[in-house]
Amino acid sequence: MGKILIVDDTLFMRTLLKNILFSGGHTIAGEAGDGEEAVAKYKELKPDLVTMDVVMPKMNGIEALKGIKAIDPAARVVMCTAVGQEQMVKLAIKTGAKGYIVKPFQAPKVLEEVKNVLST
Amino acid sequence: MSEFEAYRGLFVAESRENHENLVKNLLIIEKGPNQDAIDEIFRSVHTLKGASASMGFADMERLCHAMEDIFQLIRSGSAEMSQDLEDLLLGCSDVLEHMIDDVEGGGDTSSLNPDEQVQALKKMLSELGGNSVKKEKTAPAAATPVADTSATSEDTGDLPLYDISITVATECMMKDVRAMIAIGNLEALGTITTINPSKEAIDEGKFDGSLTLRIASEAGEDALKTAALGTEIASVEIKPAEKQEKKSEDASSGKKPAAAGAPSPDKNREIKNLRVDITQLDHIMNLVEDLVINRGRLKQIAEQHHIKEMDEAIAMVDRSVSDLQNLMMIIRMIPLNHIFNRLPRVVRDVAQYDSKEVEFIMEGGETELDRSVMDGLNDPLLHLIRNAVNHGIESPETREAAGKPRKGLVRLVARRDRDNVIIELVDDGAGINVEKVKLKAVEKGLITQEAAETLTTDEAVELLFQPGFSTADKITDISGRGVGLDVVRRSIESLKGTIRVETTPGKGSRFELLLPPTMAIVDVMIVKINGKRLAIPISSIIEVANFKRDDSHHIGKGEAILLRDEVIQIFWLNDMVGASLVCEILIVVQYQKKKCCIPVDLVEGQQEVVVKPLSHFIGTTRGVSGVTILGDGDVVPVLDVNTMV
Repeated sequence: MGKILIVDDTLFMRTLLKNILFSGGHTIAGEAGDGEEAVAKYKELKPDLVTMDVVMPKMNGIEALKGIKAIDPAARVVMCTAVGQEQMVKLAIKTGAKGYIVKPFQAPKVLEEVKNVLST
Repeated sequence: MSEFEAYRGLFVAESRENHENLVKNLLIIEKGPNQDAIDEIFRSVHTLKGASASMGFADMERLCHAMEDIFQLIRSGSAEMSQDLEDLLLGCSDVLEHMIDDVEGGGDTSSLNPDEQVQALKKMLSELGGNSVKKEKTAPAAATPVADTSATSEDTGDLPLYDISITVATECMMKDVRAMIAIGNLEALGTITTINPSKEAIDEGKFDGSLTLRIASEAGEDALKTAALGTEIASVEIKPAEKQEKKSEDASSGKKPAAAGAPSPDKNREIKNLRVDITQLDHIMNLVEDLVINRGRLKQIAEQHHIKEMDEAIAMVDRSVSDLQNLMMIIRMIPLNHIFNRLPRVVRDVAQYDSKEVEFIMEGGETELDRSVMDGLNDPLLHLIRNAVNHGIESPETREAAGKPRKGLVRLVARRDRDNVIIELVDDGAGINVEKVKLKAVEKGLITQEAAETLTTDEAVELLFQPGFSTADKITDISGRGVGLDVVRRSIESLKGTIRVETTPGKGSRFELLLPPTMAIVDVMIVKINGKRLAIPISSIIEVANFKRDDSHHIGKGEAILLRDEVIQIFWLNDMVGASLVCEILIVVQYQKKKCCIPVDLVEGQQEVVVKPLSHFIGTTRGVSGVTILGDGDVVPVLDVNTMV
């Protein structure tokens, strides 16, 4: 079980994800609504894991991932993606993301990925 | 579906924001290329797609997906916007809006079939060269995997070597990505010497679901297996590579990444913003209103019974209630952008329909209004804007002939002016044709020919607000919806606002709406006539004067008084409260430059009251806008000056 920072520009997705993560026994370290906020919150909260949306205003998920990796190379970041974004996800994995989950989220899959990434 | 019910409200609220953002930016790119706007559109559509998929609204998702595909092309620069595409996308956004409405009403969007739009989008996509998208999306996994035997030139020293084969689960949607994650995790523990297919091949999507690699690592078999065995990995087989003696197996203490920093205490988990159901806010507002009434009651009781001890307590309650009231007012305020945002679209549609060229400028959208005022403002404002384009702005040819720029200008400006919010709608069109107005009015029997000839411009313009008046030659789709300016005025007045028009032939018209930022709580003067109390809104009172019966003059059936060289009509409230013989004070009220005065017996004082609407059982009561309950429980009518002068 870990402390998780949820990054997504919509409250809807954050709430959805938060409830899934709660149901898996995780705690929510915090939430961020854009890439800039994500990097700032990461620095401040030092969560065990970050779920990162790709398409966001101000700073997109890839840039935020780079920012977080610059602060903490060991950061565990799971990308939130949708079908059709393979290239983005690959870029994220090469940049240092540890995993990905696909929207629409299925609770068991999300929890499995989070568990696996936390165990690395 | 039911598990998502809890998210419905959130979904609707955020989808509306995204829909608005979509339309706003579609209109921006219609004017010319703008990469930021394209990015914003892509983000909004993408978000709508994700959210609708999560809610299980398949039709909505399908539509968003098709729109997203188009914007992927445009964003990458491989396709350009066209007028056809703009129209199609705006049409799609309309369907999206209906879908959101449907969801808000408890539906699941299935009643709105987007097939037509989706087909059109797909057709457009293939015309624009959708092949490039397809290529990116379905990278074939069949191509020859290229082995990479020289993955690294790094010296692996005498570390133990392992051969690992990994198979990704067949149901996995992005097998290549899973493979990359597994490789990445393994690389954190050691050095990969050979890998088949190569990392580059996997990156290009040339991956059929299984890979083999050799790694030099001191992490140990178990750690390596754990690293490779992630989500959607069907199997990982690991065995020590041949021709290599096993070295220290004890090294498994390993390179496991350190836990990411010490967890900080929970202090940062505060939530800064909340979304609250509007009905709850309304309920709180009602409670605050009750508090305001009872505060007055408490004050009165303390005064009546001379209970000195209560003074301090009442003063405290007084302050808290005032603060609470102010806070509630602020909470209920929302920026005008809420309704302004959809207007550029309206202007565009009307202009296109009428083949007119219009530049629409909005300012002051951040000005705030109470939600209830905002609700009532939407339709009148929409009507005025349609009118401005439809009736106000001339065709480009006419404009050129008149020496004006082809493009008409419509400006919507909102600003706060002391206790009011002023919304101005200015166009540089033809202005109101006063002669035509007079002619129509005579035709419709609203005035006589003789009266028409003596009318001033202002008075003629006033005719536009008469019920049943419309100068449009024929009923159009755009502004001829059976609603005239009379309805606009009535709506604005029901919000306790006023509407004024100024017009200059050939130069354009200017509509000015004056609105109270909030409706519920009003500052009134309490007066007494014949022992009965009445409340008059302070905002409409301009003067309180002495009155002697002898000063009044009878003019026809009416009665007037000369006050500071001005003849002002006297409005007796005898039929409301009965005739009074005292009446030594005149309250002069004004509405739209027109004055009248009300004789009263006594001015009791000024106070903030909560105006409650009259029950519909009572029906329309001209002159009374509602009632208020004073501290002593007395129910007092609040005068509606607008309908009196």
